[in-house]
Amino acid sequence: MGKTITEKIFSRVTGKDVIAGDIVFPEPEIITVHDWYVVNFDSALEELGINKLYDPDKLIISTDHEPIAVSLQAAERQKKVREIVKKYGIKNFFDTGRGGHGHVFPVEMGLIKPGMFVEAYDVHVTNFGSVGALAIPVLIEITEVLACGSVWLKTPETVRVNLNGKMSLGTTIRDIAQKIINDLGADLVDYAVVEFGGSAMGSISIDQRHILCNTPIDIGAKSALVEPDQVTLDYLSNRVDGPLELISSDLDAKFREVVDYNLDSIEPQIATPPTPDCVVNISEVLGKKVHHAFIGSCAAPTLSDLEIAGKIIEGHKIHPDVRFIITPGTQEVMGKAQKLGLLNLFSEAGAMITPPGCGPCAGGRIGGLASGETSINTGTRNDYGRLGASDSEIYLGSAATVAASAIKGEIADPRDFLS
Amino acid sequence: MMDWKYKGTCWKFGDNLGIDGDVMPLRFALERELDPTILKSHLMTGVDPEFPSKVSTGDIIVAGKRFGQGNPHIQGFLGMIGHNLGLVVESIPRGSFRNAINAGLPFLAGCENVTNLVETGDLLEVDFKTGDFQNLSQKTSHKFEPVDEQLQNIIEAGGWKPNLEKRLSRLSG
Repeated sequence: MGKTITEKIFSRVTGKDVIAGDIVFPEPEIITVHDWYVVNFDSALEELGINKLYDPDKLIISTDHEPIAVSLQAAERQKKVREIVKKYGIKNFFDTGRGGHGHVFPVEMGLIKPGMFVEAYDVHVTNFGSVGALAIPVLIEITEVLACGSVWLKTPETVRVNLNGKMSLGTTIRDIAQKIINDLGADLVDYAVVEFGGSAMGSISIDQRHILCNTPIDIGAKSALVEPDQVTLDYLSNRVDGPLELISSDLDAKFREVVDYNLDSIEPQIATPPTPDCVVNISEVLGKKVHHAFIGSCAAPTLSDLEIAGKIIEGHKIHPDVRFIITPGTQEVMGKAQKLGLLNLFSEAGAMITPPGCGPCAGGRIGGLASGETSINTGTRNDYGRLGASDSEIYLGSAATVAASAIKGEIADPRDFLS
Repeated sequence: MMDWKYKGTCWKFGDNLGIDGDVMPLRFALERELDPTILKSHLMTGVDPEFPSKVSTGDIIVAGKRFGQGNPHIQGFLGMIGHNLGLVVESIPRGSFRNAINAGLPFLAGCENVTNLVETGDLLEVDFKTGDFQNLSQKTSHKFEPVDEQLQNIIEAGGWKPNLEKRLSRLSG
């Protein structure tokens, strides 16, 4: 019987013949933890009397949830994180102003390779699937991984999703991603890895693949990845030293389900409160007044998100009743957007640019919502209270939809701004 | 060595018991209470307020599908540890499965139809290591799939923290 990409990766890192359902202790090759959990894992290790990590060189720590300390508490936490980094001798520390979003810059920097196995504290590490790595969040059990090198996992089954056809103008990969999680549903993807492939992938960039791999975790998938291909090799060729190996599922691999999508007919999609999988065609919510708009988070962190927003905003002003916040995902994205004149275009239109990282999506510590307000944004989640007041409402859509809505002051169709 | 064989009274419950509310009041999760001797007095009070005073050491909870559904909190399983109970369920969501292991609770999951094999008050004998399940009152016996052996080792160690301490001493030794 053939193997899925996930079974192959688990077999390689454990040195055993692993199939879905097997309980294993796979050792990750990279571990990531963000600024809001460093103090916690340090306390947990201290309680266990541990003062060294199993392998500090595997760990990447990034200051992305709160790069600008906006309270004394946050400043104190940043100070403590810097002390902890020194204490354990962690080399891969990307402090504020360095890397940016920890689910994105390691891919840009070539630290993540096809077929690699990664574990993390935070759930959206699945973005690393954009280059064909398998990244699994283990939440607080990251403490065991940091101390002992691994933690037990049940080898997940795989749901294969084949994308075919071509997206129509104004529809972006975020719309596709939202439609997919709405269609697949929590029962089908529960504890499965969602593996993307199909004839459309040749025209889907690594930037866009970040978004495809970001959303399935929100309905209970274990992870998501794209079968690496020529697009992956082209992207990584000047970022990674040494040879790269592509990995794919065998033809006779056993999938939980294989789902085929034709991208041609999919319209812009909006996730309505209170969960990311309450997805409707944009026509159902057009005209809903918004006070707040935001482009950023690990679900829209890349240059391609800013480029499409720029196309829509050029020649327009942000609606006077809307505050519009843009968070480039990483330092690299920020620099490229600067060179392309996008940051200038946004600020002249009336938008605010924040430092790279999670932006408001990290719990609304910056740029949050007051009671009764409505936001349209590209964040990962739209639970009530996510960005502030518990009675504020969050609608999620593509960077294109958010830009169009920020101009009109209401949920608007990006296709009206593109031709 | 821990004794994996439990002989005790059956306490039967239905489907969809919530880990917060049914199995353990939510406030203990919010307070991050982890002491089994405190939690045992509140076990299952969401569905049977008298449960903590009726149950005895070695008794076995038998429940239906999706036992411990909801936001995965460990407190309910620690409450069972406080009474030294065993657990046999038709199905358990993965977050609660992980918490039952981490609490060091002997349990069997995926026991299809088990709620039709028992009544509250039956005398049961369950070997959690092998999956052998006997209803001594009704004179029936069944075999279920036990928890994976590597996970039994974590339960044997006493749950997540003692197992981690064991792993660490092996690593440093």
